[in-house]
Amino acid sequence: MSAPFVIAVPAKGRLQENAESFFARAGLELVKPRGARDYRGAIADLPGIEVAYLSAAEIVELLAQGAVHFGLTGEDLVREKIPDADREVVFIDALGFGHANVVVAVPQAWIDVLSMADLDDVATAFRLKHERKMRVATKYVNLTRNFFSAHGVTDYRIVESSGATEAAPAAGTAELIVDITTTGTTLAANGLKVIEDGVILRSQANLVAARSADWSSAARDSARIVLDRIAAQTRARAFREVRTRFAGCDAALLAEARERFGVETPFGGPTSSGMITLHCPPKHVHELAMLLREKGAENVSVAGLEYVFSRANGLYAKLEAGLPPPA
Amino acid sequence: MTTASISSTSAAPDARAGALLASFERAGYTRLTPAILQPAEPFLDLSGEDIRKRMYLTTDPQGRELCLRPDLTIPVSRDYLASPSAGTPQGFCYLGPVFRHRKEKSEGDNGSSEFLQAGIESFGRSDTAAADAEMLALGLEATGHYGLSKPDIRMGDVALFSALVTALDLAPAWKRRLIKDFNHKSSLAHDLDRLSISPSHARPEYQGVLAALAGSDPKAAHALVTDLLSIAGITAVGGRSVGEIADRFLEQAALGAQTSLPKETRALIEKFLAISGDPDEAAAELRAFARQAFVRHAKVALDAALDLFESRTGFLAARGVDVSRIRFSTAFGRGLDYYTGYVFELHDPGARVMGQLVAGGRYDGLLTRLGSPKSIPAVGFAVWIERLAALQGAA
Repeated sequence: MSAPFVIAVPAKGRLQENAESFFARAGLELVKPRGARDYRGAIADLPGIEVAYLSAAEIVELLAQGAVHFGLTGEDLVREKIPDADREVVFIDALGFGHANVVVAVPQAWIDVLSMADLDDVATAFRLKHERKMRVATKYVNLTRNFFSAHGVTDYRIVESSGATEAAPAAGTAELIVDITTTGTTLAANGLKVIEDGVILRSQANLVAARSADWSSAARDSARIVLDRIAAQTRARAFREVRTRFAGCDAALLAEARERFGVETPFGGPTSSGMITLHCPPKHVHELAMLLREKGAENVSVAGLEYVFSRANGLYAKLEAGLPPPA
Repeated sequence: MTTASISSTSAAPDARAGALLASFERAGYTRLTPAILQPAEPFLDLSGEDIRKRMYLTTDPQGRELCLRPDLTIPVSRDYLASPSAGTPQGFCYLGPVFRHRKEKSEGDNGSSEFLQAGIESFGRSDTAAADAEMLALGLEATGHYGLSKPDIRMGDVALFSALVTALDLAPAWKRRLIKDFNHKSSLAHDLDRLSISPSHARPEYQGVLAALAGSDPKAAHALVTDLLSIAGITAVGGRSVGEIADRFLEQAALGAQTSLPKETRALIEKFLAISGDPDEAAAELRAFARQAFVRHAKVALDAALDLFESRTGFLAARGVDVSRIRFSTAFGRGLDYYTGYVFELHDPGARVMGQLVAGGRYDGLLTRLGSPKSIPAVGFAVWIERLAALQGAA
């Protein structure tokens, strides 16, 4: 039996729940045949695919080693832990959950510091006055170093922090921090503020592929199936199906609908009797229905879509572009 | 390439390096063998994050951060400070492995992350010019020892640029910025275009504060900032005091319209940074520059630094160094902010080996920053053993 195709997903917390519902929506039901406490799972009805439940740090590590094919994790961790991440992995799709920004935050009392340029000046003044460098508490050592370097800030040193980074300035173990924030309330509660141009990364959960994994033809087939379902579901969620039939339905009308509402015609133009199926972004459904009736439609039906499978699989194409040609 | 023959040198330094050390000892330098495992703190604080990302760091069970030494200047300095002879004039030499993470073999030697450095550190000498000259002479002996008697000699002097900036009629924020950038760029001249301070005072929300502060004294500024913070309900946290924040507001108020470098000042700096040549030519040009440039500023700031510069050139000639072969440039720096004066590098003129073969300079501030209660002058250099050995193999 050939080696299984492995997808690593977070083992606990909100991210696990979100990951499971993400896969479930795509018709990929994650199951744990050996019980809920098992750390190995599978996808119902898809043999040959293994699901590994791991900590976020392990997922990134295994992606870097190529020990798993796919991983579901935050872009922040991937970019922090894998130097030159785009060379090692392919970011296949941003999943729309797990949003967090990696930011530079300073004490609110530093009312003279609004921008990174201010911080640069203050850092140098600090070194000259205190005979030591300003300390930045963070677990994002590499992101911090690259970002500060891009802004020309050199008079600082990093203090690695593993938890409660936002408390470091008040505790006196650092002058400022680089950390993730979603709403900024934790930062504010600790008397910190985000520097205006100090957003290092707007991160969210991503489906990530390891370039150095074993991309046998069996693995590619598994990836194609998984991504086909995800793409079909993503496409389905982005549209509603709108159907109608009337004689006045012509190319000019369809062009207008395309232009104004982003409507697509998955099965081509109207039939000779004026029958048409349209895919319309949900927020424009009503406007489209108005337009169609203005032009003569008697009835317009709108329905949700379960899946939209297309011949072209954009997600798989993205993956394949990042892999070596098949052997 | 013949570098393969000298892999794993750290375990058995080649005999030639041993002989080099013996010659340093004969010249009066005591050999030190500092610990390979060092506290990480001094390197992190003094060498900057660029070195840090190349350091091998570890933590002991008590949670103290340790590292494999990335150079020997700081370890030798620390051993000297811990010894009974701290503060007295002492000279030391060393030979041993240093550790810096290197991803690719881009540096001309075997590209290993463990490589050998030899070198000299001279502490506490008050005859600055003579000590400076001796370092270059000994550095030339080191390349000569490996068969390269006439390396390219590149020289700079950080003290000249500092003296110029100190003398300029510029806001403190500008002076800090210029000196910082000089230390971190091999050529600041190319960067002057982009140099601009984009301070808070360019923003409408700060106009009122800065207008209120313009011309006020530090005490009044301190009071205003205290009030502002209290109105905003901010209880001060973090390592900067209210006084520091007030001082910076005062600076910004004083900065006025100087958001980019005044044209005249910029022209002056560019003219200064274009001065290069052998030390005698450069000194003559610098004297002329100082006479012209500072008539208006009424400051003869470069004189002390230039006196030292010329005296050093004299000592170099007296040591038999052909000074006409030295390529001095006012824009040359070594990219480490602990250098305070003269800096130099020796390179292979045939470029068979990339990177410096020998490099060093004066770092008078380092020992204070390592905890010395009094200021101790210091100068030294390091020798890249594998590069020299590779060069000899290539010959």
